Amino acid sequence: MPLGSDAHDGFTEPLLAARGMVKSFVGNRVLSEIDLAVLPGEVHAVVGENGAGKSTLIKIFAGVYQPDAGEIRVGGVPCRFRTPRDALAAGIVVIHQELSLAPDLTAEENIFLGRFPRTAISTVDRRDIRRRTRALFDQLAIEIKPDQRVGSLSIAQQQMVEIAKAISVNARILVLDEPTAVLDERRVAMLFGVIDRLRDQGLGIVFISHHLEEIFRIADRVTVLRDGRCTGSDRIDAIDQDWLVSRMIGRNFPQHIAHARTVGRPALEVSALSVPGHFTDVGFSVSQGEVVGLAGLVGAGRTEVAQAVVGLLRSSKGTIRVFGREVVIRGPDAAAQHGIAYVTEDRKAYGLLSNRPVRENLTISNLRRFTTAGILRLGSEAEYVRDMIRQLDVRLAGSQVEIRTLSGGNQQKVLIGRALTLAPRVLILDEPTRGVDIGAKQEIYELVERLVARGTAVLLISSEMEEILRLSDRIVVLRRGRVAATLMREEATESRIMKAAAVAS
Amino acid sequence: MLAALVLLVTAASLLSPRFLTLPNLLNVLRQVSIVGILAIGMTFVILARGIDLSVGSILGIAVVLFAGSMDRLGMAVAIPIGFVAAAAAGAVNGIGIAYAGIPAFIMTLGMLSFVRGLAFIYTGGTPIPINSQQFYELGNGYLFGVPIPALILLAVLAASGFVLGLTPFGRSVYAIGSNEDAARLSGVPVRRFTTLVYVISGLMSGLAGLVYASQLSIGTPIAGQGYELDAIAAVVVGGTSLFGGKGSVGGTFLGTLIIGVLANILNLTGVDPFVQQLFKGGLIILAVLIMSRSGRR
Repeated sequence: MPLGSDAHDGFTEPLLAARGMVKSFVGNRVLSEIDLAVLPGEVHAVVGENGAGKSTLIKIFAGVYQPDAGEIRVGGVPCRFRTPRDALAAGIVVIHQELSLAPDLTAEENIFLGRFPRTAISTVDRRDIRRRTRALFDQLAIEIKPDQRVGSLSIAQQQMVEIAKAISVNARILVLDEPTAVLDERRVAMLFGVIDRLRDQGLGIVFISHHLEEIFRIADRVTVLRDGRCTGSDRIDAIDQDWLVSRMIGRNFPQHIAHARTVGRPALEVSALSVPGHFTDVGFSVSQGEVVGLAGLVGAGRTEVAQAVVGLLRSSKGTIRVFGREVVIRGPDAAAQHGIAYVTEDRKAYGLLSNRPVRENLTISNLRRFTTAGILRLGSEAEYVRDMIRQLDVRLAGSQVEIRTLSGGNQQKVLIGRALTLAPRVLILDEPTRGVDIGAKQEIYELVERLVARGTAVLLISSEMEEILRLSDRIVVLRRGRVAATLMREEATESRIMKAAAVAS
Repeated sequence: MLAALVLLVTAASLLSPRFLTLPNLLNVLRQVSIVGILAIGMTFVILARGIDLSVGSILGIAVVLFAGSMDRLGMAVAIPIGFVAAAAAGAVNGIGIAYAGIPAFIMTLGMLSFVRGLAFIYTGGTPIPINSQQFYELGNGYLFGVPIPALILLAVLAASGFVLGLTPFGRSVYAIGSNEDAARLSGVPVRRFTTLVYVISGLMSGLAGLVYASQLSIGTPIAGQGYELDAIAAVVVGGTSLFGGKGSVGGTFLGTLIIGVLANILNLTGVDPFVQQLFKGGLIILAVLIMSRSGRR
């Protein structure tokens, strides 16, 4: 009997059973002998670092890739998916991280797009659409108006619309690819409510996530992938976090040693800064050699504060001082000249030059550094890039590969490296580990420690409590665009931050 | 792409014994020089994820200005006049697109009509003859046995390749085309460089106009009509992505040659000029089809 299926009781036929999945790209084996079975009414979590093979596996289920070997059975029937349409016909719906809804259409129009019910005279039967959408939303206990424009919905609500759409095409197996990566705590709970109902209705759910605590909240069974192999698969009640982590990274999680930090003079002082519509009277300071965390719920105005500091948003009042001198910063270029570098939270939209090589992505912020008499010194650039790739431990086939081919963690390292080419005295990291695997996360933390030890002032924006608590010397909590609390490291706890961020005082 | 060109050349030499003769090959180079120069300017624009529909019209205005001032003021004055006008038109394009936020397609479409109108007004609709023999030599003479327009094209190719590959500006053009927001966040002066890209395209149009005017020794206000499409075709056949950030002037040069060689062999074998249009159209579509196939994983 193949590995992974032996834990099933044998009476329930799996909805989806993949056996011996093998996939190689240009001789590079990214999946070897993966087994995965999903029972009806079961949430099966798939975890693993980036590059472990999760995406490839999902794409096989979605009919985007064809496996080199192995067999997929849906409801006991062997299937071959040549196209995404085949997978859909078999009842498998994949909901990707980037949603594929038309923002200018309403929720109900999106759900029935391409298969609108018709009236007797062949016009679109709007009444039928409305009725069926209401039924779907009721079934899932989703509170969205059917005629609301999708573009005006939150990401979480858009996910719900996608899920409703999947149900409406009679999906039996729902694959959710990191659905919680872009959601705050409250919306994660909403999503899990919907997943629970789907489970009750007998669907099989494949759930991908980086957040281990979520796995324990929602999954019935978990399969761990590492380097394209299955390193473990078990019922969730039979395992614990250490079991998961050790199988994911193949080593024990290194204990963080809190370094004693030497704090120097104030590097960035922001006082009474306001950007109308985003935040009001925000003040804080970051000194050399310390990390100040900027916490708060999504929408509290954290990113906007960072954008105002680097001149992407115009402030209406307030001052910014850099090493004691008041400055007016009109854009990222000017910010760089004052020694301030910003690493965006939205890699894809504002960070990556997707179809350009890693080398160019690294050096674009400071080409001056490699320019003599107006001409790029490619040799010294290449040398610098080699050095940086080694320092940041970016894993790639060569500095000429396009950055879009890298995993999220490696992309993030390159973007941090891009900021470092400016040799910043103030580094603003906005969600530096979003969509990044555990191993890379660890490395990014270590990098931050190294920078701080060298005297860099770091402003860290993060939605991850653990990250904020672990790295920050002080934590500034924003709530609805105002500073709700400033906590010292010793007094900061998850519940105090949460209270300041979410509860009106 | 190079393989495609080699294939085409092989086929051409089999079809017509006259194809692989030095005079004919030099003739091909001369014939493609005008569109080749336009296409190189267009490559800058398309790499930055823009489009310039006004290159043919800018060529036209430059041509009539060269013609109108050549015999009265002499080459040393006439040539700068045409170039200044061409650069100014490019600058207006760039400012409209980069600073006023007008879509490139619309801005340059408007400029196409506007500048062509100026050329007609300037000439009153009648072509202006040029009598300068010296100027005629520029378009029809040879240097080291190579037609001067071909030499100009090669010089422009080398200079553009240098700028795109070895200067911060060139690197930034790719960055802007790849992801404008990311480029801005990285401190690239996106607006200034975008404007510059259209100025370059304008200047190239002026240069192409110079070759055009000197080859024909006449300044006609309809000069260069429709050339923008030939230039875009050469860029696309040359493998530069219309979505920006991907491609090269070397590719554009090959694309220009592929189209030029095809036209040449069709001429040599006496194919009906109307039928030639079919071949050209088919080639463009085929080239893009092949590229979109090979670009996919």
